[in-house]
Amino acid sequence: MLSIKNLHASVEGKEILKGINLEIKAGEVHAIMGPNGSGKSTLSQVLAGNEAFEVTEGEVTLNGENLLDLETEERAREGIFLAFQYPVEIPGVSNLQFLRTAVNAMRTHRGEPEMNAAEFMKLAKEVSKQVDLDPAFLKRGVNEGFSGGEKKRNEIMQALLLQPKLAILDETDSGLDIDALKVVSDGVNALRAKDRAILMVTHYQRLLNHIVPDYVHVLAGGRIIKSGGRELALELEERGYGWLGIKEDEAAAAN
Amino acid sequence: MKPAPTLSSAFLQPSGNALPGPLLSLREQRGTALVDMPLPTRKTENWKYSSKHLKLSDKLATNLPAGSATTSAAEDGYRVVFRNGVIDPQASRLPQVDGLTVQRFADLSDDEASALAGRLDNTLDTNATQMARLNTARFEDGLLITLKPDAVLSEPLFVIHEVTATASGSAFPRIYVDAGRHSQLTLVEEYVSSGDQPVMVDTVTEFMVADGAQITSIRLTAEDQNVQHIGATGVRQQRSSRFESHCVGFGGPLRRHDLQLRLEGEGAECKLNGVVVTQDKQHYDNHTCIDHVAANCNSEETYRNIAAAESHAVFNGRIHIHQDAQKSNADMNNKNLLLSTGAEIDTKPELEIYADDVKCAHGATIGQLDETSLFYLVSRGISRREANVLLTMAFINELVTQIPVEQVRDSANERLNRFFDDTFEEA
Ligand SMILES: Nc1ncnc2c1ncn2[C@@H]1O[C@H](COP(=O)(O)OP(=O)(O)OP(=O)(O)O)[C@@H](O)[C@H]1O
Ligand SMILES: [Mg+2]
Repeated sequence: MLSIKNLHASVEGKEILKGINLEIKAGEVHAIMGPNGSGKSTLSQVLAGNEAFEVTEGEVTLNGENLLDLETEERAREGIFLAFQYPVEIPGVSNLQFLRTAVNAMRTHRGEPEMNAAEFMKLAKEVSKQVDLDPAFLKRGVNEGFSGGEKKRNEIMQALLLQPKLAILDETDSGLDIDALKVVSDGVNALRAKDRAILMVTHYQRLLNHIVPDYVHVLAGGRIIKSGGRELALELEERGYGWLGIKEDEAAAAN
Repeated sequence: MKPAPTLSSAFLQPSGNALPGPLLSLREQRGTALVDMPLPTRKTENWKYSSKHLKLSDKLATNLPAGSATTSAAEDGYRVVFRNGVIDPQASRLPQVDGLTVQRFADLSDDEASALAGRLDNTLDTNATQMARLNTARFEDGLLITLKPDAVLSEPLFVIHEVTATASGSAFPRIYVDAGRHSQLTLVEEYVSSGDQPVMVDTVTEFMVADGAQITSIRLTAEDQNVQHIGATGVRQQRSSRFESHCVGFGGPLRRHDLQLRLEGEGAECKLNGVVVTQDKQHYDNHTCIDHVAANCNSEETYRNIAAAESHAVFNGRIHIHQDAQKSNADMNNKNLLLSTGAEIDTKPELEIYADDVKCAHGATIGQLDETSLFYLVSRGISRREANVLLTMAFINELVTQIPVEQVRDSANERLNRFFDDTFEEA
């Protein structure tokens, strides 16, 4: 489904991604772990199309189509979804209006009729229950004044509404209490499907108890330096990153 | 040194004579005082950014002839229609409410007219509103709204100011509201135009607000691109009265509005909201001035400017807290959004505080649409155009939704949508 070959990207002239290679097939769940500042969010943002990052080399295809040629909104319509590490607060745009506009943009793209306000309200209420978010949050500004955990649940709610082909979850587990982690994991597991793939960035093995990945990769210094099965995550939990030959300070920052 | 430009004598020719004697003599007397009136220049502080857009060619010196009917925005409800500065009684629909009288200046008795002549301009600092003085020398008709104590008009009264620009000239509409104790009124002023010749609208609206009266003034400025619009609104508020103002303005070759309030009785409060939207090479200049004269008064002011393309918006907000105005509470906030690198916004808060026990807050910001927010929206499949619209609307939505008359909200939204169509390209 997603194929990344020798991807290099930089921001403000500084190279962050230094040759990423990654193959993700439909139905698979991949976890990316790695020290702070190693480029995990950069990879996520580059895949979603953030123009603040410049791709200097390499290629990315989604179902054979060149992803890097597409505008951000086109990527989203082709099925890329990024749950942000830091969801953006947008006062003045109601969450409901935002979600409906997004869902209708997708529907229009698929040639389906738009949902009217009443139809959408019904759907939004159902999905907000699924992520245990009070429907009152629909009326508030997008993420405005949401707690960290509420923002993450709002991201998963969007994923459930938009039904992406590839969901990239950037630390969707961080800042969640134990119950919320369960709710979010259930949401992600509900997304798992034969024709869908999930790429999740996390620092914690505990998420992987809830969402069992098929593959675990370690991203350090802008490269994937090790890949394995879920047992790799357990090993990392026990031994840290030091044994992989990552610089001491980077390893320290990861804990 | 070049002598300062003065008002052309062409502007001081007598205009129509359909007014009662006392108003005619007032007009003549004010006209005489305008001989050699210096016109604002770049060096005139309150016209610094706008003087170059004020084009008083002699072609504008004649009053436009009372125009013919076009569509009016308010089909139902109470309305008064000014056509080229003269009231059209046929097109108007007046409320029949106890304690409320709505009269044309032209229909006033000599006694009424002479009482009014003694009061016109009394709400304004005419040193700061040069063009209001020209209005007083030139108005041909006007609307006098008198509310007796406790009179309440529960529905809004629309005043439609239409100019028909089939030839060049000017219109000088005039409104005077005398709101008695505990009376209530919502007045909507809509400025619209047809025709494409260069014209000027020089308009003045005054409110005398007695103890406990509650007045809401809504003003929508939306004439075409051949119209220079210069307006002044003066308000004097007595004890425990409340004045609420909602101004929505769309740009033009020149748009200027001076809003002056004097809080003269204890416990008076005012709330001023303003939204300005400019595009192309348009220019819009809002000058507001709130005088806290008496103690224990509140003022709350929120203005938002949005400037696209090569347009220019100006906000100058003055708050003057007089020596005796202890326990004044003044809050002024102006936020500005630049939608292009060629647009310009100038904002200036001016605070003069002579009392020691006051709360006075002010803030002004100028920014662009937030890239991170835009990225977040488009990453959900929302088009760039729609994302721009959502964020721009978010900037003013709070003020638009506060406009208490649905018809005006709708009409503002419709014009905003046209602005978005012009400003944000389809994907
Ligand atoms: N807009 C930017 N301008 C400058 N540097 C940036 C920018 N965005 C990211 N970086 C830098 O790129 C590097 C990689 O950042 P990134 O956010 O991808 O790390 P990460 O692996 O997600 O870290 P964390 O685990 O802390 O979330 C960091 O050194 C960061 O400071
Ligand atoms: Mg990160």
